Amino acid sequence: MSEYAFRKINIDALEEDVLLPSDLYDPDPRGPDGVLSDAQRKAGEVRNLVSRGDIPGALNAILSEPPYGDGVDEAKDLTTSSLLLILNSTRASEIPTILKSLGQEQQDHLMAYIYKGMAAIGQGSDVSGSVLLNWHAQLTEVAGVGCIVRVMADRRTL
Amino acid sequence: MSNTLRPYLNAVRATLTAALTLENFSSQVVERHNKPEVEVRTSPEVLLKPLIVSRNESERVLIEPSVNSIRLSISIKQADEIEKILCHKFTRFMMMRAEGFVILRRKPLPGYDISFLITNFHSESMLKHKLVDFIIQFMEDVDKEISEMKLSLNARARIVAESYLSTFA
Amino acid sequence: MSAPEVFQLSLGPLTGIAFSPDRSQVCVCPNSNEAQIYTRNGDSWDLTDTLAEHDKLITAIAWGPNTNRIVTCSQDRNAYVWTHTEQGWKPALVILKINRAATSVKWSPSENKFAVGSGSRVIAICHFDEENNWWTAKQIKKPLRSTVLSLDWHPNNYLLAAGTADGKTYVYSGYIKGLEAKPEATIWGDRLPTGQLLAEFKSPNGGWVHDVAFSPSGDALAFVAHDSSLTIIYASGPNEPPAAHIVVKLPSLPFTNLTWTSESSIVAAGHDCQPILFTGSSSGWAISHSLDDPSSTSKPLTPTATGMRSGGGGVGRLGNNEAFNMFKAADSKGQRGLPGTGAATTSSGLTQVGSDGMLLTIHQNTITHVEAYEWNQNGEVSKIFTAGRDGRLVVWPVTGGKGGLTGRMAGLQV
Repeated sequence: MSEYAFRKINIDALEEDVLLPSDLYDPDPRGPDGVLSDAQRKAGEVRNLVSRGDIPGALNAILSEPPYGDGVDEAKDLTTSSLLLILNSTRASEIPTILKSLGQEQQDHLMAYIYKGMAAIGQGSDVSGSVLLNWHAQLTEVAGVGCIVRVMADRRTL
Repeated sequence: MSNTLRPYLNAVRATLTAALTLENFSSQVVERHNKPEVEVRTSPEVLLKPLIVSRNESERVLIEPSVNSIRLSISIKQADEIEKILCHKFTRFMMMRAEGFVILRRKPLPGYDISFLITNFHSESMLKHKLVDFIIQFMEDVDKEISEMKLSLNARARIVAESYLSTFA
Repeated sequence: MSAPEVFQLSLGPLTGIAFSPDRSQVCVCPNSNEAQIYTRNGDSWDLTDTLAEHDKLITAIAWGPNTNRIVTCSQDRNAYVWTHTEQGWKPALVILKINRAATSVKWSPSENKFAVGSGSRVIAICHFDEENNWWTAKQIKKPLRSTVLSLDWHPNNYLLAAGTADGKTYVYSGYIKGLEAKPEATIWGDRLPTGQLLAEFKSPNGGWVHDVAFSPSGDALAFVAHDSSLTIIYASGPNEPPAAHIVVKLPSLPFTNLTWTSESSIVAAGHDCQPILFTGSSSGWAISHSLDDPSSTSKPLTPTATGMRSGGGGVGRLGNNEAFNMFKAADSKGQRGLPGTGAATTSSGLTQVGSDGMLLTIHQNTITHVEAYEWNQNGEVSKIFTAGRDGRLVVWPVTGGKGGLTGRMAGLQV
């Protein structure tokens, strides 16, 4: 069979101007180490803000310049877990006012994290689906389906 | 419909509406072909990020959008062995008749019970919001259907057992 | 203000559409390999000609307003230029030299050339070669790395904008040596050999760029992308960063098409099934209003009313005409006879569904074309037309760039 192995080679990938998934977005200018230290600093900040009950401030901090792309898994995990902590510790009645205080960019990022949280259910995540679904419904109400379209279109995986 | 199912279905509805923004897109890899990009996966730029909406460990929906097609896979609630068997029989019955259901995929994705493949040709010949309604309706009914089948199966088992054992009474 | 005129030209999607110079004829492709020419007859359109030469789906049609020539391009990798003779429309094959589908075509303003975008990562700029008596093409290749989805010519006849499936918008020089006089320096660039890249922009979240358009003056460029965004760029001068780069992110589904109606207003439409008017300037842009305002109908539009279908199926504002019956059939096909209990759609950004299960907008499916139909004395667009996947052609009055409540009230049909 070995003489047919060449048939499995993806010759399109060898073309000079082939488009790779990594060409579709710009890498984070901070570099992996900068992103990680930023994420660690923010996680501490968020814990402080949450303990003082300042949920909008905490959400704003964590959703600004979140880590994205390849090679920053640790920073991503850290940010995701601190974000889910915020979502869990928010009273349902406060959600609409908090969402309205966020900028458009932050709303898009929050939507991406909600989907990420839902994907992790059943894989050792401690957030219940109903909490995330409630956030999702409220956010769709505020930011519209355009927000979901942007999450789909964005190649910068959070 | 139970109240707890509503937010789940609303989230699926919103996500599906956002994903059903398809257009006719001729393959840029193979000459004169037009294929569902979500299935062939040859051009990274026309595939979008797959999204998962989930209610709990067992109930979730995976939506994979692309430029001219979306794939929607549903994992149906299966609480015990009987539900597992019923669900398997039910989805198998439908998928063997997939051509009659137009948007049904013949095989589910691994890890899911049933998959739909909606292409731009479907969203052109049918109304988008009706397609969304159909999927939501399906998700509502499939749970109901399986619960009902389970009830009637139990009832039947009891009757059989009663009439069988009555000879010993 | 007159009400929009609605015509049902086909039961399926209209994949290409272009009006004749005097607006008495329209050339459409009903989602097939043939283009049809309809002639206006009072309130209806009669089929007069069929242009059959392609063997796959026609993706775009352009009709030159001055030279009265039609160009069609198709997924069969070809384009034809159709010239009207006494024996009818005569096709001429264009030597495109592309090996994937052609996706879009546009005549340049002076109609001595046209541009074809394609899936083979090239833009072909075509002109008539007198010597050989055929249409031939010059190709732009760099730095295209994905399908070209849309094109637009600058009013000066030299610059060309292109939007691609990898979320980029490019501005090129479309000058062809030997065909036309050497171009003057422009605000976008001063060195203009053929195919010279003058500017490159990204869509805000990396969505596919569905449509690009130069403003009437040519100093601004707008594009819509598949991340529900509208971007407007004001050029400042050659080799300089743009004077303004404005991004409007929308709560609704993405737009597929846009057209400038004046220097300060844009109409965009798409998957939301309604044309939306935007107004602004280099200091900022915002949504003014929808030309198809569901609240101008007599139906109540509270969220509780949506999706709660009445059993009898009340007739919509369309009455019991042919179109209505057609969609009723499409409905039952889509529904497969399931009883509709339907959950209420309250999420913002979604098009409202009426009590009969139809959308409250005139278009029932994605709008794929928006173009100017009529201009007023000031050179501003007073009417636009839209065509969509539902086979409808609609001519809309544009309620001016006034915006706000006054513009909205003027557009109301009571």
